[in-house]
Amino acid sequence: MTLADHWSRLVAVAMLGTDRRDPPEPPGVLADVVDDTVRESPSERMLAQVAATVAVRRAAVRPAASVAAVRGPAVDDRPPCAPDAVERWHHVTTSWPVLEDEWMLTVLVTGQRLAPEMVSEVLVRHRGDPIRRRRAELAAGPLAGWLVEHCPQLAPRGSRSSRADPTDEQLADLPALPIPPELEPLLHAPGADVGARLADAIAGGALVHAHRAVLVNLIARTRADGLDDVAASLGRVDAASPGYPMATVLADLATTRRRMLDELTA
Amino acid sequence: MWSVEQVEAVAPTPAALTAARPLVSLTRWGSVGADERAVWGVCRGSGAEPYDTMVDHVGVGYSCTCPSRRRPCKHALALLLLWADGQIAVAVPPPPVEAWISRRRAAAERASAADTGPGSDGTEPVASSESVAGESGADEPAETGDADRDRARDERVERMHAGLSELDRWLDDRMRTGLADPALGRYSTWDDLAARLVDAQAGSLANRIRRLAGLVGVSPDWHSDVLAELGLLHLLAQAGRRLGSLPAPLADAVATAVGWQVRQADVLAGVPDTDDWVVVARSDTREDRIEVRRHWLRGASSGRWALVLSFAAYRQSLDTSLTVGTALTADLHRYPGPALRALVGHRYGEPVQGARPPAGDLAGACDEIGALLVAEPWLDRVPFTATASVASSGSGFALTDDSGSLPILVEPRALASLLAVSAGEPVELSGEWTPHGVVPLTVHLDGRSIDIGPRADESFVGAA
Repeated sequence: MTLADHWSRLVAVAMLGTDRRDPPEPPGVLADVVDDTVRESPSERMLAQVAATVAVRRAAVRPAASVAAVRGPAVDDRPPCAPDAVERWHHVTTSWPVLEDEWMLTVLVTGQRLAPEMVSEVLVRHRGDPIRRRRAELAAGPLAGWLVEHCPQLAPRGSRSSRADPTDEQLADLPALPIPPELEPLLHAPGADVGARLADAIAGGALVHAHRAVLVNLIARTRADGLDDVAASLGRVDAASPGYPMATVLADLATTRRRMLDELTA
Repeated sequence: MWSVEQVEAVAPTPAALTAARPLVSLTRWGSVGADERAVWGVCRGSGAEPYDTMVDHVGVGYSCTCPSRRRPCKHALALLLLWADGQIAVAVPPPPVEAWISRRRAAAERASAADTGPGSDGTEPVASSESVAGESGADEPAETGDADRDRARDERVERMHAGLSELDRWLDDRMRTGLADPALGRYSTWDDLAARLVDAQAGSLANRIRRLAGLVGVSPDWHSDVLAELGLLHLLAQAGRRLGSLPAPLADAVATAVGWQVRQADVLAGVPDTDDWVVVARSDTREDRIEVRRHWLRGASSGRWALVLSFAAYRQSLDTSLTVGTALTADLHRYPGPALRALVGHRYGEPVQGARPPAGDLAGACDEIGALLVAEPWLDRVPFTATASVASSGSGFALTDDSGSLPILVEPRALASLLAVSAGEPVELSGEWTPHGVVPLTVHLDGRSIDIGPRADESFVGAA
């Protein structure tokens, strides 16, 4: 009798209880182990056998027979984005989600693919929005569909028929963000001009916390080559100024965006 | 600020902590405050007069006007728990607190003048925790300390023995009446026993009982799972009552598994295990109302495994000083016996990125797991590293290679990460063996490691 067979018999007796059925006779070496103990009642003998059998079975842990590994997805020749970029994506999604679309589009435009370790998280994050979902699938490549086959919880929400396929324009364009007309010229202005204008207005109280959302939008869409200048100007706002905290936050956004683009285009 | 674990470590008995819990509410307190030296407050207890409670959290001492002879009393423990939970604001100490602290400072200076040796090694946290766990405060007469401690220890051993005997009787009843007994489906059946084990100083066994209650009825094989755990409880109950006749390392391991608490200071005072420790894996689990973080380390030279635990109650922070995939040269101080559990002592330099443990096949991993289980059959989790592929197996998944396969016990999020990173190819991975399957925690790639272990809910802990 194998140890597994003996264990099955012990479980059967344990279900009924030793008031109704006596414990089985222990096999082989196990009998020597439990014979060492002075056990009067069937329940005591049962406990001794159970303890000894569990200890032996655990110590003798072995793998079961080999099984066939899952077949992998089709090969994707694009290079995966760098670990720094993966880390930045996590930072962006928790601190500056306004930058996430640009992060994903930059991956696609630069001919990279998502690093495998982030694919499931990206797919879970974008189960609802069809445009972001499609971008994520394109960036993940064949791995996305393969993963959904094995992990249905990663599939997009809603039935396939209810999901409209996004157009190429929708996929290629960053979503428009609300920016007031008086700030729109700054979208294409040199970074030094943008930074100086924002820093002056914040320090002078013309731009206050109520404007934070549109200022975030502006910095998320302003020219990428001027982000260092924007951050530097905002960083020079007087610490005693009431607008200093907001200037600091906006400088962080500018720096984050610049680093994000550097990491993805390095 | 102290952690909840530190507060629990200074409790004279688990029962004192239990008694303190109802007082861990600001509605029971007035005039609370804390500064860099003390925590204080006035507790509205059952007596006619409220109790003035003060704790010196630096020099470690307690003062309370309650009639209890135990120090720290439940009021001091409750006050510390409130403070550890961040519920007590910084304030200016009132005159009685200032006077008490001044007296303690003066006493400490006198003692320091009389003793020029100890405490000058710069290991402030160690010295501090030594006094945390060992002394009831400078206000206590020193000559009564040893006798009190001996008496408390004897009482504790007696209670533990009684508790283990009761556990064995309870196990015997389960064998007699059988696992089909409807009583097993009632949580109170388990919770009552767990509470009695806590009172009997067998907190670890109480935790096992509570976890065991969660196995009843959850799977088609639950009878087998529960029976196995009952067998291990019997093993520990028997061994725990025979500590004196066991070899010392085994006795230490059994005592720890039963719940005998060891002071951190005693652990840190032990001989260090110095090595380049690879931080192999991390896993967070919620146990009752405490988040437990496990870091598995492996010595690059010795090949020995070690387990570093950290704990966080609600809004507290877990240890973030160890990063998976790094190696640090450090002193590890192991708990008594053949324990995996250790504390990190002195660290030499900064962690190095890109470290990975050696990986063999699954059969080799099972050999290592079995060796650890021979030493301690009651272990719930055993670390391993292997090179394997992911396979679809029945309704679940498994790790597989030419030497065999092991079922995966994993949450869907981690499984998806594992599948994505491995993509059908063999990968080096580390994880935990459990009786119900293996839990992959880390995938080791060239130059970096991907941490896929379960992570604490960030709405619960302060920093995960």
